[in-house]
Amino acid sequence: MKLEKIIDRTYYWIDDNARRASLTMARKLSRRNFLSRLGMLVAGAASFPLLPVSRSFAQESVEEIGDPQSCDYWRYCAMSGTLCSCCGGSYTSCPPGSEASPITWVGTCTNPVDGRDYLMSYNDCCGKAVCARCSCHNTEGDKPVYFNSNSSTVLWCFGTENTSYHCTVSLVIGAADE
Amino acid sequence: MRLMAPVFAGLLLITEFAIAQITPEEISIETMPERGDNWFIGKTGNGGYIFDASNGEMKGMLSLSRYTPAVTFSPPREEFYAAESYLSRGAHGDRTDIVAIYDYENLSPIAEIEIPNYIARLQVRSHLGLLNNGRHLAVLNMNPGHSVTIVDVEDRIFTHEASTPGCAVIMPVSDNDFLQVCGDGTLQLIQLDLSGFEENRVRSDVFFSVIEDAVFDRVASSSNGWFLVTHSGTIFHVTTDDDEIIISEGWNPRSEAEKNWRPGGRNEIITAHHASGLIYLAMHEGPIDTHHEPGTEIWVLDSNTQRRISKIELSTPANSILVTQEDDPKLLIVDSEGASHVYDAFTLSYERSIQIPGSTAFEDL
Repeated sequence: MKLEKIIDRTYYWIDDNARRASLTMARKLSRRNFLSRLGMLVAGAASFPLLPVSRSFAQESVEEIGDPQSCDYWRYCAMSGTLCSCCGGSYTSCPPGSEASPITWVGTCTNPVDGRDYLMSYNDCCGKAVCARCSCHNTEGDKPVYFNSNSSTVLWCFGTENTSYHCTVSLVIGAADE
Repeated sequence: MRLMAPVFAGLLLITEFAIAQITPEEISIETMPERGDNWFIGKTGNGGYIFDASNGEMKGMLSLSRYTPAVTFSPPREEFYAAESYLSRGAHGDRTDIVAIYDYENLSPIAEIEIPNYIARLQVRSHLGLLNNGRHLAVLNMNPGHSVTIVDVEDRIFTHEASTPGCAVIMPVSDNDFLQVCGDGTLQLIQLDLSGFEENRVRSDVFFSVIEDAVFDRVASSSNGWFLVTHSGTIFHVTTDDDEIIISEGWNPRSEAEKNWRPGGRNEIITAHHASGLIYLAMHEGPIDTHHEPGTEIWVLDSNTQRRISKIELSTPANSILVTQEDDPKLLIVDSEGASHVYDAFTLSYERSIQIPGSTAFEDL
């Protein structure tokens, strides 16, 4: 639900800014001036190599505090499973040889550093025997199995070649207040 | 020393004589005795331990897959049914999901039926249900959308898969029907025909909010329907009349001073004794979203008067409970440290603890 809201707001922000920029240019510039500058921009762009676009470059990174191997770590507020950060991975990476599930459950956690709420995606790492270290079960916003997008109890090894559960990571996918 | 020699010789002779009298023992294999009162299955990660709660004696064990959600028993057919899931190389390899059938006499697998490879691999009692006709077994799937597999245990065949988006839990009602809880705050009734195919599907009115106060996905059967409980402790009784879903007014056993008390536990938190109408509910004190906190108390509720009549205060909180259905029922508790305990379900007195390593929940037998 919140993800849809974020996407909607992002589209709205892009549309709104494009509209404002167009109106400003229309008010300030003559048509010939606009065309000549646009031509320069197109010609100039061609002279630059096509650089890879890093999404993270455009975004501010999330400031962290605490021990990622502790269940009390802020990202784990709706976590259920074992922590990949204790199993050869991290809170964003699966341990060697495991397979990341593309289908997840979500939660919203407050980062104590900036006090902001972040939308979290909890991805299971699959295809290996369970790593039984650092078991962690938090239920903030957890819902029953029939409402499975917010259910932490479910084994989320769907869409993977192997369906055995290994451990779980927690990714920030956006700020809830954006 | 001269005197001792004949004494030793005599002792040796006696010993040899005694050994010669012993008949070598032969190994034998037990078969299950006739089922007694208050027998139950202690479900673990690798099987079902069968016990007599009256004396704590173990009778035998079913070997089950580690992903088995539940196992159920058919008294007239003397068979156990379990949904199981296996990977061909243990932690990886090809997945095969089956309904396994075990006989009562030897607790051995006697048949298996391959089913779609996406059973919901969680230890939840209501993810498996033998419908009241004793013929059709319903198994909950998750892929990640929900569906229900129907197996005919008499003909040993997979018959049908019903897509049930947004709805989970299997609560057998009537002869060949089952109810489900849905994320939009309704119940869904699915009615099967004689062959086990879906014949009719009905949705109730909205009666709860999954955001404000969700109904647990752990439920308890009653004499004619099912008890549901919300995260705040409101209890509903649901029944059906043909294709009509009947939901009672909700009631909450908490007093004004007990607003911070909530149901909770990692597994089965509610159970009911059919004949008396008593409900047993694992409760703890805590804020919202603590619905998996184990119960520090077991509240005993009378569904007829809709009041709490007693409670058990536990030294170690409860993660899972079950009451047997005998006239002198036992209340079974798995605590948060994994120990299993037996209480008299009417006097609420502690009777014994039973060692069931890794026990997560119970099934009545």
